[in-house]
Amino acid sequence: MSDANRKTEAAGEPPGGMAPLEVHDLTVAYQKKPVLWGVDLVAPAGKLIGILGPNGAGKSTLIKACMGLIPPAAGWVKVFGKPISETLSRVGYVPQRESVDWDFPVSVMDVVLMGRYGKVGLFRRPSRADRDVARACLERVKMLPFADRQISNLSGGQQQRVFLARALAQESDLYFMDEPFAGVDAATESAIIELLHDLRGKGKTIFVVHHDLPTARNYFDWLLLLNMRVVAFGPTEEVFTYELLQKAYGGRLTILSEVAEAVRAKGHLG
Amino acid sequence: MRLRTPNVLLPKSWVACVAVLLLAGVLPVSAAKIGDMAETDWRTQAVRFLTLSDPAVRYALAGTALLGVACGLLGGFLVVRRMALVGDALSHAVLPGVALGFLWNMSKDPVAIFVGATIAGLLGTGTVFLITRTTRLKEDSALGMVLAGFFGAGLCLMSMFQRLPSGGKAGIDKFLFGQAAALGPGDVRLMAVVTLLVVMVLGVAYKEFLLVSFDPGFAQVSALPTRWLQHLLMLLLAFSVVIALQAVGVVLVSAMLITPAATAYLLTDRMHRLLLIGALLGLVSGVSGAFFSFLGTNLPTGPFMVLSASGLFVLAFFLSPSRGLVPRWWRSRGQRVRIARENTLKAVYQILEDEAFRRDSISLRELAEKRRVTLEAAGGEARSLRRAEFATLDDETVCLTPSGWQRAAAIVRNHRLWELYLTHAAQVAPDHVHDDAEKIEHVLGEDAVRQLERRLQFADTDPHGKPIPGVHAVHGPSPAARPGKPTGYGGNR
Amino acid sequence: MNLVPPFEFHRVVVAPWTTELANYGVMALMSFLVAAACGLVGNYLILRRMALVGDAISHSVLPGIVVAFLATGSRGTVPMFIGAVGAAVVTTLLIEGIHRHSRVKQDAAIGIAFSSLFAIGVILISLFADKVDLDQDCVLNGELPLIPLSPSVELWGIALGPPALVRMAVVLLLSVVGILLFYKELLVGAFDPGLASSLGFRPGWILQGLMVWLSIVVVSAFEAVGAILVIAMLILPGATASLVTDRLGRRMVLSVVHSALSAVLGMHLSVWLDCSPSGAAVVAGSGLFVVAWLFGPHDGVLPRIWRRRRTLEGVIDPAEAEDYPGSGRVIR
Repeated sequence: MSDANRKTEAAGEPPGGMAPLEVHDLTVAYQKKPVLWGVDLVAPAGKLIGILGPNGAGKSTLIKACMGLIPPAAGWVKVFGKPISETLSRVGYVPQRESVDWDFPVSVMDVVLMGRYGKVGLFRRPSRADRDVARACLERVKMLPFADRQISNLSGGQQQRVFLARALAQESDLYFMDEPFAGVDAATESAIIELLHDLRGKGKTIFVVHHDLPTARNYFDWLLLLNMRVVAFGPTEEVFTYELLQKAYGGRLTILSEVAEAVRAKGHLG
Repeated sequence: MRLRTPNVLLPKSWVACVAVLLLAGVLPVSAAKIGDMAETDWRTQAVRFLTLSDPAVRYALAGTALLGVACGLLGGFLVVRRMALVGDALSHAVLPGVALGFLWNMSKDPVAIFVGATIAGLLGTGTVFLITRTTRLKEDSALGMVLAGFFGAGLCLMSMFQRLPSGGKAGIDKFLFGQAAALGPGDVRLMAVVTLLVVMVLGVAYKEFLLVSFDPGFAQVSALPTRWLQHLLMLLLAFSVVIALQAVGVVLVSAMLITPAATAYLLTDRMHRLLLIGALLGLVSGVSGAFFSFLGTNLPTGPFMVLSASGLFVLAFFLSPSRGLVPRWWRSRGQRVRIARENTLKAVYQILEDEAFRRDSISLRELAEKRRVTLEAAGGEARSLRRAEFATLDDETVCLTPSGWQRAAAIVRNHRLWELYLTHAAQVAPDHVHDDAEKIEHVLGEDAVRQLERRLQFADTDPHGKPIPGVHAVHGPSPAARPGKPTGYGGNR
Repeated sequence: MNLVPPFEFHRVVVAPWTTELANYGVMALMSFLVAAACGLVGNYLILRRMALVGDAISHSVLPGIVVAFLATGSRGTVPMFIGAVGAAVVTTLLIEGIHRHSRVKQDAAIGIAFSSLFAIGVILISLFADKVDLDQDCVLNGELPLIPLSPSVELWGIALGPPALVRMAVVLLLSVVGILLFYKELLVGAFDPGLASSLGFRPGWILQGLMVWLSIVVVSAFEAVGAILVIAMLILPGATASLVTDRLGRRMVLSVVHSALSAVLGMHLSVWLDCSPSGAAVVAGSGLFVVAWLFGPHDGVLPRIWRRRRTLEGVIDPAEAEDYPGSGRVIR
């Protein structure tokens, strides 16, 4: 069909079957209603990939299914060439901020240490080295002074930084982040994007569920347009076109299509 | 007899107990196991409880302490996960299992009842999850239904036993409201085993339970056996509910899970401390429940334990240092008083400023006019300043002390700096900045003030042309004491 | 040692409707009236996700009743109602107060509030056992078997029946009238309080009215049938009906049908097993729920399993997917 799609297939060819993420014919349904339908994709390594789509398009469901949190109705997922259950130690996760109870009686340090639990192993206590890693991760998101705070005494941006620090502490190669920019202040947003670029520079692959169309173009290397099915998946300059955005969002969100129009008027790269 | 209305509840209650005992001397009172029915004076009972001379007292004490610890520990996880009422459903669902365990050999065999009740409890919680997963019913309805359905079945079974020749006197009805006095050595041994198990499992897998409770999705991605951990937690919960049954009773055992843990939640911000405090509070309420129910005759233990736990909760609710209602109210009251004093100080400063600091005292009438309040209210404000040693007050004349002067200058400085900042940096019109500054002046810290001063390049007048009090005004003596000196920054530097 | 008596057809099925009608018929009628009144108000509790608030209130009316009893020394209808409504108000205030003024969440607040009040009730009963003719057993089981024995109320020379029965019938009648009068207010209030206030209704008042209604139903049922039947019947009829139909009106009718069936089945069960009539009614009602759960048209477990046997396309509707633009076609 469009250029972008054909190119996607060409670029996505896995080098020796070791692509960070390979999804084949993934279908997920809640009760009778499908949420994802026949999703096929092969992610390139070392890219910062944005997942875009309207509300209810299955963005969060896709990353949860990729991590094995939701069982698929059909299809399979491979991470670094193996089923997810064997490669969990190479996967990092930033859930939606609202998915946890921020009144929970734990400190910032406790939360970041949770990122080490996968590496520590069952029924063992985190060592001094684990604490040092956690402290370093907190330092990277500039939250070390808050280490002993209870997590409810944090602003939205600070909570998001804590979640990022926890994901950093996982020391993974493939990250899934569910709306890390939702409800954060401008300073945190730029700090996060700097951090993500830094991670990508180290060869990590990062999937980010994103909500804001105008910034998507500057933030990500690749884009996945999703609306129950994959609308397009490829380098940002090829995917971020008026036609494809229109196709993903349909006529449902006129504001977004106006935004897309503005983007096209600025300079059409597709 | 019923027409007598007791106006003083407590003393008469003991009379009532004794009366009931004398009237119905033949009642099968299981408390009689503890002692002779003739001595039911509560003082004697208290002495007997406290000296631990009676083996039954020792069993009751050990049992209630153990169950308090087990329930208080595990309840912490229920409370922080907002699953408190799962505990309620679980505890009601065990009743048919108790009855069937009882049927095993028609006696109160602790192990048979333990096994039956645990199975029934797990079946009950399993049914709740099945109902919520496969139907449109929400969790609250599912919990309520399982609770009532299982409990109803249990009641049926129990009423069937009561017909049987051996059923009536075996004490199975004590499972409804609990009778710590009926605990035997076998029960206590079982309770000790279970409590030890709970403590050990939580000691070993604390980190896993913490993560599964806080963020189950992340736990799964961290390769923790999330589902097994959830099942294990539910199994431990069922265990601790079941050991608590006989002393607390089916109806109220959930309170022993919820209330001590909720109390601990008010007292601390860390999960491990919450668990420890919960266990301690559970122990205290268990033992005191046993004590109170021991004072009378045929008093059920469960309700007294629950009331002790609720009493502790009420104490924490009002008095918890960080989150209690009273300390919070006290703090906010302190703040209100401080803000009121600062507003008075500001008014005094402005009156003196209008006359170029030629005097150092003002009259109450002037203060009342400036503050637009009555003379009495102005007097009250002045007395409040005197209490804080910000001013002296003699014969309707208010005179600021050095510390009062410094505070007044600081507040005026904060106000005017903020107005200036808003007009300069935030481009707000000068006539819109006053209200904002009225609020911010009381909360600006010295660090923020230094930053503002730097950003405003130590400007010395506010947007309305009034001088901003400088370092000397804020930290030095009043201008009246050193006449002729200007008060802006420019002059002082 | 025969726990389960033999099933004698005549004794269990025929006699309650013929020779024993005055006894068992009245009991079945009473438990029907209770279940129907509870079920009607319970439908709104389920809609509002407040089923457990109903549970809490039916526990906490106990101290209200006992205090009213001790204060007046009589078992009159008016003091009982006042005590129960007072207890219900105290319960809701406690729940609200705890979870608004502290970090304790609503579920734990419910648990703390009702257990404390119930504990107070039980302690009062055991302390004043000589003055309160409620005992701990009756709190749970009620006195259903005693109802047919009490003297009948007469109105204009016509014997209407035992007072508890008449009172319950009046409450049921008032409930039905109330629903007919305030159908749309209750529906909107339950569905969307925000919408309710924009339409000019007062959601707060609707909620308060619901609570008062609930406590009146609970107290008039409580003494007769005990706490357990009340709690069960607040939820069981509505929950069963909601598995069968989506419409609120039909749910109301079905929950009354459920109440009637569980009353009759429960009566037979209790005659057969010679067990607590309240408990038997709950067991029968739960059985009906299980039937609806297994065979219900929407969420029924069996229809679902049958559907799963067929292909994946049978489970997931591909037509739903066709509505979405996508490159499923393009990639494959």
